[in-house]
Amino acid sequence: MDRLIRQIARLSALAGGVVLLALVGMICASVLGNATLKLAQMGWVQSALPGLAEGMRAAGIGPIRASYELVEIGVAFVIFAFLPWVQITRGHAMVEVFTARLPARADAALAALWEVLMAAAMVLIAWRLYAGMLGKVKNAETTFLMQIPLWWAYAACLVAACLAALVTLWATVAALRRAARAWA
Amino acid sequence: MSDLGLGFLSFPVLLALIFARAPIGLAMLICGAGGLTLLTGSPNIVLAKLKTETFSTFSNYNLSIIPMFLLMGQFATLGGMSRALFRAAGAFVGHLKGGLAMAAVGACAGFGAICGSSLATAATMGQVALPELRRAGYSGGLSTATLAAGGTLGILIPPSVVLVIYAILAEQNIAKLFLAAFVPGILAALGYALAIALYVRRHPEAAGSAPALPLRARFAALLPVWPVIVVFGLVVGGIYGGWFTPTEGAAVGAAGTGLIAWATGGMSWRGVQDAILETARTSAMIFFIILGAASYNSFLAFTRVPQELSSFVVGQGFSPWAVLWLILLVYLILGCLMDSLSMILLTIPIFFPVIMGLDFGMTPEATAIWFGILVLIVVEVGLITPPVGMNLFVIAAMNRDVPISATYGAVLWFVAADLIRVALLVAFPAIVLVLI
Repeated sequence: MDRLIRQIARLSALAGGVVLLALVGMICASVLGNATLKLAQMGWVQSALPGLAEGMRAAGIGPIRASYELVEIGVAFVIFAFLPWVQITRGHAMVEVFTARLPARADAALAALWEVLMAAAMVLIAWRLYAGMLGKVKNAETTFLMQIPLWWAYAACLVAACLAALVTLWATVAALRRAARAWA
Repeated sequence: MSDLGLGFLSFPVLLALIFARAPIGLAMLICGAGGLTLLTGSPNIVLAKLKTETFSTFSNYNLSIIPMFLLMGQFATLGGMSRALFRAAGAFVGHLKGGLAMAAVGACAGFGAICGSSLATAATMGQVALPELRRAGYSGGLSTATLAAGGTLGILIPPSVVLVIYAILAEQNIAKLFLAAFVPGILAALGYALAIALYVRRHPEAAGSAPALPLRARFAALLPVWPVIVVFGLVVGGIYGGWFTPTEGAAVGAAGTGLIAWATGGMSWRGVQDAILETARTSAMIFFIILGAASYNSFLAFTRVPQELSSFVVGQGFSPWAVLWLILLVYLILGCLMDSLSMILLTIPIFFPVIMGLDFGMTPEATAIWFGILVLIVVEVGLITPPVGMNLFVIAAMNRDVPISATYGAVLWFVAADLIRVALLVAFPAIVLVLI
């Protein structure tokens, strides 16, 4: 079970990584297209090669107009998909100086306490995201340029958020077990 | 209790949670959501806000820079740029007394130019430079201290993740902040080199030796470094020149270091997976803190604590400089305990209005940029301040045969160099503002 949960978190992070790489590729294509189009629109190029700029524009070479909104939607999914991995690898930022010398029992209890609260937060986030998604379904909100229904983005993030909640709940069970053993 | 009282009370509660080892983002989330619930008398507003708050916090065009810069640093590591930089710097100054340590600082500065994170710079350069320093006969204390300090250049020298966050919180221009960090970053590298020179004068036995290379070999070592210069120039030059937005610059940078890694054969399937997983860990860690900070800051804004505190401090007629030094001192102390991002997210919403309410004889924009750079440097000093600086632990974990006390002794020289630089920048803001 431990290995399965870890594998789920890993695959989720890798899926986020693939989307991130795709965003990087899209932005680079947009920047490159913009640069070549600008070049073709320069006065001396236009007089040397008339029609080049129009031809390029017709062929779809130029900045990707919807790049901005695709990045916004995409990066939200990327971060949600990254969340399970930071949970399972205990990568959260924390201050450990003041608790470094706690006795084993207090230490285990404290660790369990934060895991429980973290799980509560993750479940809360996933639940509210679901409510938010229902809201976006109802008011049929879409992105500005491409008219992508916003609830699609919410739904993709919800899947990742549920995985994050699942992974955190599993970590909580493990922490509670450890605490129980320390106090036994 | 009044709203204002509740707001002020939330500070000690938040600090208590954080010092009791709560994940920092979670602690801020608890205080923000809890505070707002107490303030409005029911959890309804918190629950309604959360419907869209998480998504809208994560789907922010400006913040999308962060995972891309992190990916860029990971790809730079895969491409073996750290080794090339160290070889090149070593070829020129390695034969000097303490020169190989100076070369490590130079390589850290170079790596910082294509990596936005301090811990990543310390970790990557540590893997490359530590073994070579030890082999050349450098003492363990000097080697580890050099790399811990050099790692902070990853944040100082643009691009820098912490500066991106500051820019968003303080609503300042990212390109100008990057440019402003440039001269202080170079000064930092020079200061560290000076600290090394003084240290080996005092402890001649700590420095090893390396042979001087012929001129031809020196320039040959310089050759593999050109992609770093191209990527850095493209990213920072492009952002500042207005060719593209900071987000586009970060994407171009990630693609650039990705190409380098591919060309040098570092881009194995395994390597890409590790790069993605490391990017995932750090990005999610950062965004979770951002989420907590968003929740806590919207609670604070309800209570009007930032405005009230700012007008109180301004109304008291304190000397602006005394207030500034006091704030920097708070950062120095907190910096020993907390990572720099958490600290910036926690404190800038409170301290920034205070600073902007005071008159330092500069335009508001200049003040904001200058303060940002000062904060950036001071929080990084915390990373190498014994006994708790995080970079010290990263490096110590790589080199277990060096007692941590030896590192502490040597790193104090670098801390001194940092503090002198802070004093210089406070006294002469022009050093920061010269390029803008």
